[in-house]
Formats: sequence, structure tokens, C-alpha cells
Amino acid sequence: MPSWQDFEPFIVSGLALGGVYALSGVGMVVLYQATGVVYLAFGAVGAMGALIAWSLINAGAPGWVGWLVCVAFGALLTLGYGMVFGPLLAKRDPLVKAVATLGLTLVLFGLMDLLWTTSGGQSRAITLPTDNGGFMISQIQVDWTQVISLVLGIAITVVTGVFLHYTKLGAAMRAMANDREITATLGVPVRRVEAAAWLGCGVLAGVAGILLADLVALDATTLTFLVISSLAAALIARLRSITITFLAAILIGLVHDLLTPIPSLTNYRDATPFVLAAIALLVLSRGGGRVLVRSREEA
Amino acid sequence: MAAPGGGTVADTAVRTAGARQRSPLPRPGTGTLVRATVIVALLLFTLFALPQLMSLYYVDSMTQAAIWAMAALGLGVLVGRVGLVSLGQVAVLAIGAWVAARLLFATTQPYPLVLLEAGLITMLLGTLIGLPALRLRGLYLALITLMLAGAITVVLATANFPNGGHGFLGYNGALINIPPIRRPSMASSDPAYFRYAVVVAALMFLLVFAHIRTRPGRAWAAVRQSESAALAAGINTWLYKLWAFALASFITGVAGGVLAGADHYLYSLDFPTYYSIMLLAVVLMGGAYSLWGAVIAGLLWALLPSILQDWGVSADWLTILFGIGVLQVLTTAPRGLADQVPKDLARLGRLLRGLVRKRAPSESGEVTAR
Amino acid sequence: MSMREHIWSARAVVGLVAVIGMLAAAGCSSSSSTSSTPKSTSSGTPSTSAVSTSQCGTKPGVAATGTPIPLGAIATNQPGTSFTDIPNMAAAYFACVNANGGINGHPIKLYIETEQTNPAQIAADAKQLVQTDHVVGIVGNTSIIECSVDSSYWQKLGYYIIDSGIAPECYSTSNSAAVNMGPRYSSDGAVQYALAQHASKIVFDQSNVPGTGYIAAGPSALAANAHVPIVQLTENVPITDADSVAIKEVDDAGPNGAVVLNFTPPEALVILQAAQKLGLEDKVKLWGCSTPCNTDFLATSLGPKWNSKLFVNAELTPPDVTNTTTMKLYEAILKQYGSAVSGGIGSFSQMGFTEAEIMVHALESVTGAYTVASVNAAVKAVKDFNTGMLCQAWTYGSYPMHIPNNMDYTVTPDNGKMVTAQGCTLISAVDPQIKAYRDVAGTAAMAP
Repeated sequence: MPSWQDFEPFIVSGLALGGVYALSGVGMVVLYQATGVVYLAFGAVGAMGALIAWSLINAGAPGWVGWLVCVAFGALLTLGYGMVFGPLLAKRDPLVKAVATLGLTLVLFGLMDLLWTTSGGQSRAITLPTDNGGFMISQIQVDWTQVISLVLGIAITVVTGVFLHYTKLGAAMRAMANDREITATLGVPVRRVEAAAWLGCGVLAGVAGILLADLVALDATTLTFLVISSLAAALIARLRSITITFLAAILIGLVHDLLTPIPSLTNYRDATPFVLAAIALLVLSRGGGRVLVRSREEA
Repeated sequence: MAAPGGGTVADTAVRTAGARQRSPLPRPGTGTLVRATVIVALLLFTLFALPQLMSLYYVDSMTQAAIWAMAALGLGVLVGRVGLVSLGQVAVLAIGAWVAARLLFATTQPYPLVLLEAGLITMLLGTLIGLPALRLRGLYLALITLMLAGAITVVLATANFPNGGHGFLGYNGALINIPPIRRPSMASSDPAYFRYAVVVAALMFLLVFAHIRTRPGRAWAAVRQSESAALAAGINTWLYKLWAFALASFITGVAGGVLAGADHYLYSLDFPTYYSIMLLAVVLMGGAYSLWGAVIAGLLWALLPSILQDWGVSADWLTILFGIGVLQVLTTAPRGLADQVPKDLARLGRLLRGLVRKRAPSESGEVTAR
Repeated sequence: MSMREHIWSARAVVGLVAVIGMLAAAGCSSSSSTSSTPKSTSSGTPSTSAVSTSQCGTKPGVAATGTPIPLGAIATNQPGTSFTDIPNMAAAYFACVNANGGINGHPIKLYIETEQTNPAQIAADAKQLVQTDHVVGIVGNTSIIECSVDSSYWQKLGYYIIDSGIAPECYSTSNSAAVNMGPRYSSDGAVQYALAQHASKIVFDQSNVPGTGYIAAGPSALAANAHVPIVQLTENVPITDADSVAIKEVDDAGPNGAVVLNFTPPEALVILQAAQKLGLEDKVKLWGCSTPCNTDFLATSLGPKWNSKLFVNAELTPPDVTNTTTMKLYEAILKQYGSAVSGGIGSFSQMGFTEAEIMVHALESVTGAYTVASVNAAVKAVKDFNTGMLCQAWTYGSYPMHIPNNMDYTVTPDNGKMVTAQGCTLISAVDPQIKAYRDVAGTAAMAP
């Protein structure tokens, strides 16, 4: 069994990894709170935005132009999807809405591999100026990008929480997620509120895309399906609490990295998000009775 | 079309099914006999004529189509009949393939026995997982199956598939010459194995058909329509949902066994987690409710990529097509291609008839434009 | 809007998206492939106009117009892994030959099948090549598992394939001979170098793709023979937490140890960059890597901190420091005919060139009709052929196993380029497979 000193550096890297998961997890829960849609295309949208940014930077554009385009792409694509398919599927089960976003994921995934072909020994990378420089914690260098992603995760959690609970628009979003029909009859401009929610989530997807491309890898497959691991954090929070999603993501990152120095478990550590989510869903739901889906499920 | 009042994926179908099931089972009429004859004729053609007409390249692809049609059938039972979405069926397929491979290397049992055992063991595992998972509903159930599939994928990546080694896992990583997984002695050539796979698939379809026509089928239809109403009517909904899980796992396990013999070599990277998402896509596109839908799904999964590869078209176009297909199905045609194509053809037929009757008004009452 | 109009508008949007996607694909894909070409060019070599590509054929300037000689290749091409550069470069070489006399006036036609690591698909591809395309020879195969899946098929039909090996069967069967050393023997070379620098411990980390046990056996044997402890690790790819991987490797190796990696270039880069970000690159004695790391792209991306810190095993002659006619011919053919080779100058296109070279050499010795029997007999008869791209002369021969390339360079990054750290060195016969090959092949295996 490794000693405490062996574990120490992995605490730091685990927190950084948790920050990575938190970005996507929080982003997805935010949208779910507002529209009832689990936006499984979150990763793919961010990945494609990051690839577009890479293409622009590679062609000579300054970095900030690329990042801005990535965020704009995420926002516009998500808004477009939400405006077209939101109303079409509004009366359907949240499961149907979630599966529909899987359709968008597949379309983007195929497009990314077509447009940005994998070639032999090449690999693409996004670097941010915050990658250089940082500080030391317990012999491990932490760079500013990792700090930013963690801080951003916290900031989004806090700001969204405040927004949803203390502003009119936020209250409207929560009401709509609960029951769109009744909210509409109460005079809330449903389509505009929805648009705001989708736009916000899209911006998050774009920002997460750039950060994850820098922190993890600029690879379409990796970034698209990283969302499955982030989903685990969201599931631990039952898709309800943004704060718990954030904390769960940190926990997943920590446990994952802390398993690294344990020889018998290290090869299985990639299963951490899935195992923790499964335990949370199966064990925690036992005490509280059956877990019902938010909106009407049976005709 | 989206049904009024919300509902799950194939909700329109449910109401029709429920209405049909409330009346007593119809006696086989001429319509049924004609359909049965067509199916048998098609089956005989597939078994005997098709392998002669196709190159080995396509025979291999059609074998895969038969296997994945079985996997689609299992998922179709869950999604179309009971309304449970599983995003982890490819992991179940992998388990079936693993069990079959282990048995085929470790024992000299005849193939049908190995397939049966693979199916039963997978059914057992599927039921064990289904037991706690069934406490969840709809979205959460789908997402937890995705989580479980992710976990199984990671475990398989480390445990690997059996390759003739010793020990429980049967994996020897240092082999310089890996032995192939054996096929049945009477079906070792590719065309022969294709026939074998089609026969096994036909048996699985028959199994599901038998379920649909008897009590489980009626119970599932009732649960699909309204679980609370079914409960009130005294149906043990939990048991029938578990039965569906067991049946789907059994069929998928058998499919995994057939896959082991078809591929000869199994690797964990052939069962990535996102394949389960793509399987759902083809099942939805083919039609989760109809048995023909599973056949279409199998062809979409295995035959279409081979054709595209032959024509030099990138496989990415297929991924895009599947994504568009999912969106299309969910927004407009919940019953999938199996239902939509006849409808589209009928609509086309009406259009043509309207054009032929140049001066007479069309069915809708408007004058047809020349 | 009525429901019906809504549906049509949704369909229209979806259709529009698809059309836009296709147009974008047509427009963007060409530009993205050029933008991903490495910017490095071999500044050390004189201009390529000094060598005319017409040297590739026997009748310069005369286009071949006879009946084509069909050949086949199978290569992996899936998101994240693409080996198509290798058969594409072979096709470029054949195009050059076809434009300059062909093989006795016959042009070569190369059928390339791509696969996504699916055994059934790979088996089907082989049958397509044989039964539908009627290929008489196989050259340019590069696949994670094709050798395992198809080796019995090739043996049954009598095809002797020339490939770039990865799976064990590419080296351990009678019907496959590779121009490269593959992951096991290349890792041997990297570990050998680390042991020669007196590393006190070896940490060997590789990607968890099929064959890890087979690959690990080589380094294990080498370390055991040198009485140096070795830690064997595997990582699931693609790597999402490079930081923890780098930390683990450095911890296990210790300050006098060596970390040797066996990954594809993007994964290796991610680990090394993480190590650099964490300030760990100097915490071990040295870092080693098998051949995939041997690209200028990696050298440029890594930066000067890795000069003489990372030692990469190079299976092929480094282009940057070689001025031979063959190397210049390779670069000229790449430039003139190699538009489909997206990776540019590097080991992938070098392998394709070498394999095509060997096949042309074999075909030119065929008298009479070009059949499966005659072509493959000629391939098997290739002996002591100087490819100009390898340390040794290349031999096929009638052996139960083939490791014709078993001598390597070691290179190290030097301010953005890979330079030679150690010249041609034999892979140690402590690896039992190497010993077995040298026993059957005799002197043919050792000739420089």
C-alpha cells in the first residue's frame, strides 16, 4: 500500500481533473434545470468549437479570435438546436429530449472526423497563455489554466444558483422546466426565456470546449465522450443541484487520481465516474422511494 | 408526430397496441397466412440463394447484419414493447461474446449448447443488474445503463477477451500466435456460418414473436400505455419489466456468442461505450416496435457501411446519417422506417395516382397541377 | 404554425444542415489536410530538384500502358488512428513507376481497403481484395490487428505480404515480413539504450491496445538480463488524465530510473507535455520512446527542455541527416505524387516508400505472367536488398518467422528537430524472438 507521500501529488492532480469534469457537469445541469433537456451534445459542441478555433489559429489568427469564435459557435449551434428542436419535443418525455441530443452528438461527431481528418503521426493542440506559469503545491506544478477551470466551475455554480433563485428570468426558467404549458399561460415569454437558457448553455459549452481541449487533448472522440464521465457527476446530484454536481465532480476527480498509485486498482480507475454514479443512483434512491422523472411520464 | 399529452418514444404505437390487445386473439386469417408465407419464402431465399449471389465480402457483412439484428431485437423489446431505453446493450453483447469465447476455448461442447449457455449466463447478469436498476424510471434508467456500460467497458479493457489462455479470464497477453475462436464443425466456411447465424437469428425472432402473442406481450403493452393503470388492473408490472430485461439480455447474449464465432478474434476496443448510443440510433430508425425494424436496424448497422466502404465513401457519413435519423424519427416518425417507409410509399402512390388522373380532382379535393 | 408545417420546417432544417455539412466537408477537408502537414522541411538536404523522380522506373518518361498488375493493402483508418499514409505513399511510388516504364510496361494498381479495427470487417476486406479485385500481391498493410485476423487466410492462399507490422503475427508467421520493427522490438531498442546509459530502474508504459503482453515480454527479458528492475504499466487510450500518468511514471522510476513509452505520437506527446508542465522531466535519468515518437512534429511541440533528455528509437534512417540519392528520391516522389500523404516527411511515408521499393524490386524479377504464384515467389526470394532506408539489407526468405529489420538508430530532439544520438545498433538477442529469428535466418539477419 503506497504511503501518504505517494498519494499527495495525486490530490492536486485529482482536484484539477475534478475541475475538468465539473465544467461539463455543471453546464449540463444548468440547462436541465432550465429546459428539462439533458444536453448530451455538450462535449461534441465544445469539441467542434475548439477544432474551429484550432483551424483559425493555425491559419494565423490571433488566439483570442479563435477562442471567441469557439464560444460563439457553441452559443449559436446550441441556440439553433434549442430553437428548432425545443418546441418540437417540448411535450415529450425528458428521455426523448435527451436521446434527441444524442442525435446531434452523432452528427457533430461524424462531421468532426470528416473535416479534421486523423493523419498518421500528427496531433492537434490548443495552448492557452495561462499554461505557462503557475505555482508549486507539494512538489507538483499547478498551472493557471487548471486554476481557471476550477475557479470557473465554482463561479458558474454560484452565479447560476443565484441567477436561478433570485432573478425573474431565473425563476421563469425554473417554472418552465417544471411545466411549460402552465408557465406559458401565466404570461411568461416562454420562447424568449428558453432561448436565453439555450444561449447560456451554449456559451458554457464553448468555454468548456477550449479549456478541455487545453487541459485534456484536442481530440474529437475524447472530448465528445468525456461528457459521459461528466454526466456521472450530474447523476450523483440527480440532475437537481448544481452545487452537488460540482462537488461530485471534484470527488470523482480525486478518487480517480488517488487510485493511480494502487497497483491492484490502477487499471480500473477509469471506471470511477461510472461506478460512483451507479452507486449513487442505485443506493441513494432506495431510501427515498422510487425516483420519478421530473415531468409527466405516463400519458 | 408528437402525440398530444406527451409520452415516451413509441407512444402512438402503444395506444393502437393496447386497443388491439383488449380484444381476444384473432384466429389466423388469410392475411396472416400470406404474411407467414412471405416470411418463410424470404427466409429460404436468404439461406440458400443469397450466399450464391453475393461475394464473400458481402456474405461476411450479412453475417454481421444477422448478429446485430439480434442485438437490435433485444433493444427493441425494451424500447418498443416496454418503453425502457437501455444505453448499454453493446456492453451486454460484449459479455455474451466473452462467455461464449471462454466456453469455446475451455470446453469442446457443441456450438448450440455454448450459445444457449452464453445466452443464459448473460440473461442472469442482465437480470441481476436489472433488479436494482428497475427502481429508476425513464431518463434515469437510460443514464444508469450508460454508466454501467461505461464501467463494463473499462473492466473489459483490462480483463480482455479470452484468447486460449488459462485461468478464469482465459487471456494470455504474451501469445505470439493467437488461436482463432472455433466455429461449429458443420458451419466453418463463411457462407455456411452465415446460414447458421440466420437460423439462430430466426429462432430469436420467433422467441420474441411468441412472447408478443401471449401474456407477456399483453402485459408489456399495458405497462407501456400506463404503468399505474396496469398496476391497478392487477398486473405485476415489476415482474414483466424484469422479464423484458431477461429476454433482451438472453437474445443479446446469444448474439454475442454468434459474434464470437463470426469474428474469430475479439478485442475490447470493438465494443466502445458509444456503440450503445449508435445501436439505439439504428433501432429507432428501423423502428423499435416492429420486428422488421430490427432487421432493418441490423442492415443499417452492418450492410450499409460495407456498401459505402466499397464505393469509397467515408464511414463518417453514416455516423452523420444515424444522427439525422435519430432526430427525424423522434420528431416526426416515432415508429421508425419499418412503419414510415410503407407510409411514404403509400403517399407516393397517392401522388402518382393523382398525377395519372390528370383532369379528375385528387383525393384531397384540390385540382392536381399539371 | 400548424403541426404539419412545423414538421416540414424541422425536416427542412435537418436537410439544410446536412447539405451545408456536405458542402463544408468538401470545402474544408482539403484545406484541413494541408494545414496539418508539418511545417518542418529537411533543411539539411539539398534541393529536391537535383533528383528527378524518373529514376524510380526503368524507362524514364515512358508511361506504362499494358495490363495492370493488381496489388492490395489494408490499413486502419478510424477516428484517432490512421495509417493510410503508408499505403498512400506506396501508391505514390507506384504512380511514379507507372509514369516511367512500369514493370516491363505494365502499370501497378494498388487497391487500398481501410478498416476500423473490426475483425469481421478486416476478414471481409481481405476477401474483397482476393476475390473481387483479384490482387496478385499484398503490400502496405498497416493495421492494429490485421496480421492476427488474416494470417491463416494468407497462408492458405500463398500470399507473402510486405507490411508495416504491429500485431505479433506480423513477425511470428511465415507469410508476413515487415519493413519496421513494430512495437515490441522498437521498445526493445529504447530500453536497450536506457540500459546502456546505466539506468537503475526501467518503467515501461504502453497503450492498452491488443498485444500488451507480447510487447512487454521483450523489455522484461532485456531488463532481467541486465539485472535491472522493471515496472510494467498500461494506460487506456485516449488518455484523459495525463498528469496522473506522468506523476506515476516518475514516482515509479525514481531519480536514477528511466521511463520508456510505447504510445502513438499524440498520446506520447500528451504525457511528455504533462511531465514538462508539472516540472517532472528532470526527475528521472532519461526518457525513452519507441519509434512512433520519431517525428519532427513531436520535436517541435516538445521544446528545448527535452534536448538530450528524450531518446527515441528510430526504425528507419533519419531523413534530416541523410543525403543519399534514395532519400532525395523519396522526398521528390512525395512532393510530386504524394498529395494523399497528409503526414509529409516522416516514418509513415518512409515505410510506404520502402515497402513499395521492395515490391517493385520483386516484380521486376518476375518472368512471364504476373500471377499469385509468380509474384509471391518473387517476393519470398528477395534477399539482401539494400533499400537505402534501413540499417540493414532486407531479406524475406522462407522462414517460419520474419524480423528482417532488427537494427536501429536512436535519435533525440535538438531544438525542434530529431538528430542522431546513436548510430545503427543491433537489437539484443536477449529478446527470445530476436534470437529465434537470427537462428533461422543466419547471416542474412545480421548483414549491415
